Amino acid sequence: MDNKKETIKSAFMEALPLAIAIATYGLSYGVLAVQAKFSVVTAVAMSLLVFSGSAQLVTVAMLAGGAGLISVLLTTLLLNLRNLLYGAALAEGLAPSKKWKRLLAFGVSDEPFVLASSRFKKVGPDPLYFAVVASLFYFAWIFASLLGALMGNQMDPQKWGLDLAFPVTFAALLVPGLKGKPIIGTALAAVIISIVLEYFAPGNQLTIIITGLLAPLVGLYIERRSKHA
Amino acid sequence: MLNQWMLIGALAVSTYLSRIIGVEVMAGRKMRPALRLYFNYVPIAIISALIVKQIFIPSEGHLDLSFPVLISCISTAIVIKITKKFLLSAVIGILIGLLSRYLL
Repeated sequence: MDNKKETIKSAFMEALPLAIAIATYGLSYGVLAVQAKFSVVTAVAMSLLVFSGSAQLVTVAMLAGGAGLISVLLTTLLLNLRNLLYGAALAEGLAPSKKWKRLLAFGVSDEPFVLASSRFKKVGPDPLYFAVVASLFYFAWIFASLLGALMGNQMDPQKWGLDLAFPVTFAALLVPGLKGKPIIGTALAAVIISIVLEYFAPGNQLTIIITGLLAPLVGLYIERRSKHA
Repeated sequence: MLNQWMLIGALAVSTYLSRIIGVEVMAGRKMRPALRLYFNYVPIAIISALIVKQIFIPSEGHLDLSFPVLISCISTAIVIKITKKFLLSAVIGILIGLLSRYLL
């Protein structure tokens, strides 16, 4: 019993700083979703049912830019591929949860992966730890989405510069991760590819997905070259 | 509205599938390191492309560079690099963007 209490406590303490960060993304998502013509109800419903910061932010940004359903779905499919990695890496640590595993799988994403994989390395399989971390992030994400959507609903987008919130949110998401030549190379390649695509076909629907497929190859090339250098 | 619910449903299913397939099917399998890296680079590429699409706005068949958007992105990038605070950098980026919109 004490062991369980200890696990819950350390999960809570370790997840709290990240939960605050997730809440700030959730706030942005809520504001942006309303700009993309979602109602408060549908904006929050997406958080309840999808629970993926990257997929949801990309979805509302693409819709606000006039993208269609198919291109949004294809892009998020590509974006979600990394969940395969996370799920595969966490599977052993979640194995003791047996039938609950399918529910816990709903919590697999960037931040829980970071915390849980380091926990599993330290103490072995620990589904309870993962459950507490994922639940905390889930509630932070939903409440922040709701708050953001309510705020966005009350504001005049042009007056408050909410249209600027899209590029600014993505810049704030991108910059901290720009470390190492392969990642910087991927970002630069993405900028060049998307500018070229937009130049020849302004406002086309395929820019994001083609860039998402091609630019990582440049990152891989740089990574391989630096390994063999 | 119906479209929004359809999209939410499709997103919920595809996102959950990517998670459950990872946990149930990919478990214990070694993925090629190149594939791992590729999957990790995808979000960087998509976010970069989204920023480009916001800075270069299509207008009557050609592209217009939006200086306020560019300036707000650069400001946000600088502030987050220094402070590491997401919300603060977003708010400062918006304020500087608004200011440049009035001045330019």
